[in-house]
Amino acid sequence: MAKDKIGMALSAVNKFAGSPLVNKLKLRKPAEKIAYVSTRAGFQVLSSANAKVQQAKDFFTPPETKDLQGAELFDLSLSEEQQLIKDSLDRFSSEVIRPSAHQADNDEQASDAIYQQANELGLAAYSASEEYGGYSDTPSVLTNILIAESLANGDMGIACALLSTVSAANALTRWGTEEQKTSWLTPIIKSLDKPQALYATIAINEPMPLFTPDRLTTNVIPTNDGYKLNGKKTAVAIGDKADFLLVAAVTPNGQPKLFIVNSALKGISITPSHNMGLKAAELCSIDFDNVQLPEDALLGDDNFCYQTFIDLANLAWCALSIGCAQAIQDYVVNYCNERTAFGEPISHRQSVAFMIANIGIELESMHLLTYRAASRADQGLPFHREAYLAKVLCSDKAMEIGTNGVQLLGGHGFIKDHPVERWYRDMRAIAILYGLHV
Amino acid sequence: MKVLVAVKRVIDYNVKARVKPDNTGVDLTNVKMAMNPFCEIAVEEAVRLKEKGVASEIVVVSIGPKVAQEQIRTSLALGADRGILIETDEEVQSLDAAKLLKAVFEKEQPNLVILGKQSIDSDNNQTGQMLAALTGMPQGTFASEVAVEGDKVNVTREIDGGLVTVALNTPAVITTDLRLNEPRYASLPNIMKAKKKPLELTSPADLGVELKPSLTTLKVEEPATRQAGIKVADVAELVDKLKNEAKVI
Repeated sequence: MAKDKIGMALSAVNKFAGSPLVNKLKLRKPAEKIAYVSTRAGFQVLSSANAKVQQAKDFFTPPETKDLQGAELFDLSLSEEQQLIKDSLDRFSSEVIRPSAHQADNDEQASDAIYQQANELGLAAYSASEEYGGYSDTPSVLTNILIAESLANGDMGIACALLSTVSAANALTRWGTEEQKTSWLTPIIKSLDKPQALYATIAINEPMPLFTPDRLTTNVIPTNDGYKLNGKKTAVAIGDKADFLLVAAVTPNGQPKLFIVNSALKGISITPSHNMGLKAAELCSIDFDNVQLPEDALLGDDNFCYQTFIDLANLAWCALSIGCAQAIQDYVVNYCNERTAFGEPISHRQSVAFMIANIGIELESMHLLTYRAASRADQGLPFHREAYLAKVLCSDKAMEIGTNGVQLLGGHGFIKDHPVERWYRDMRAIAILYGLHV
Repeated sequence: MKVLVAVKRVIDYNVKARVKPDNTGVDLTNVKMAMNPFCEIAVEEAVRLKEKGVASEIVVVSIGPKVAQEQIRTSLALGADRGILIETDEEVQSLDAAKLLKAVFEKEQPNLVILGKQSIDSDNNQTGQMLAALTGMPQGTFASEVAVEGDKVNVTREIDGGLVTVALNTPAVITTDLRLNEPRYASLPNIMKAKKKPLELTSPADLGVELKPSLTTLKVEEPATRQAGIKVADVAELVDKLKNEAKVI
């Protein structure tokens, strides 16, 4: 009870500190000081607080807090457009993706209907500007994160499959030359409302121990009329479905670059691989044996930065882990409140409650680190450090949350009637895969 | 044909509503708000009429606080052409809503007004009928099918005994039932286009309507929690309990 009172009082002083009235009266700094001091003091006077708290609440409750848009506040709310996108995709995710996730996991592919519905949503058109068939003047990394997060909340495997084409489109938008955008990006967007849509994907991972994206063995050798590509890629989402690939390969002078590779070229062989998780993503292994690429296959010109490209790939995987972790959290909260043992819901047991609380704390930290990196990327600030921190945290906690999700369901966690075992298997991918881009 | 659609901002249907501690209403602090599902069906129907070439313009109107703009933007993202928000922080009851909509109807002169049959917050199921009565328009309520033929509109209504189809002269009021259609998801390109569509702000005073609540809420309570059931040994005991305890036979 005391906790609630203190909570109310804190919210009252914070509301006061944030109210427009304060701005008008030029009280911003003093008010924030009050909020800070009273927050600190609040915990010290917990015991005698009750009566005073009510007074404080009456006194401090500002008449109007809805239009609060103080420019000096640390604002983490989404823009109207981001909120609309998130709302629409959240619904799509819970009404379309989630119900078909189990089947897609069994079939090791998402149904055509899902691809078609996702195409109707125009995901791949989000980042592209109007001249290439899209609608965005200022594509945002954060919005792409929100998109990935919403889809992964439905199912990470299906999200990964759907986001492959989106990622390739994002990479083309960010790095591609005008000619490359016209010949590769525009056709994807134009095909979205056609029965035979175009798909694309990004291939980074290689089958070697301790793989990191900066130690590539796939390589190109310049020839008279372009490049010769050799090497082996693995864990390429929708590798078999994709009409073209963006392949990470190293040039003779040791520079990692991306190459646009038409998947119908001679010398390419694609083998589906069977994995523990992300089954709906149709992961494939791809061999490149002396594949002759045209001169304009090299993505972008001097503007291409491989490190930034990898940072954005990492953020995409962070977003997937957040979406899936959110799904796990929501599921276990419901489950543990409903499942009874010893005559009461198991959520009344501290060992259960602590575990769920930890998921909540970890999920929030994953959110904040990822959003901060994305927001720095959108502002054009360096974000390598932030993206790296986010990736390390998300890889680590994704697996932990996956394991704890299964644990909280007890024996039910082990059987396929509940989706948590699938989420656990999917979450293992976060730390090791790269082929996406926000 | 011009279509006017009314939409309402309500508590999201996925949210478990909580009653305020002082029993004066439902607690809306930090609760996710969304468009009333029946209103969404109304918007979808208008958009389908436009796609069929029947409707030429869709105007969406909402009554509520400034944030209700979100629901209008959602409608614009689903395919409506422009929006009107009648801004008020006061409580708006069915009759007041109908009067405000009548004022908008007179200004906009649409051929069809589509509303949800009821909003999921107060479940009144009144506004559409009241609007029809105030404007003298014919009404087709609980629509499960809408077919426009020239200046007539055939509305199939869901009633207790089955279906009844009424033919209405336009302008007419239609209220939507659950099975009329399945609303689409707003696509990303349409969401971005919605930003550029016009949204007009007005107020009850501008429309010459004074809000006069005709009902007073006395008390709001949670539904009683369900009691655990019991097992009976045999039919005789069951009949006995039904007769003497439940007193239903």
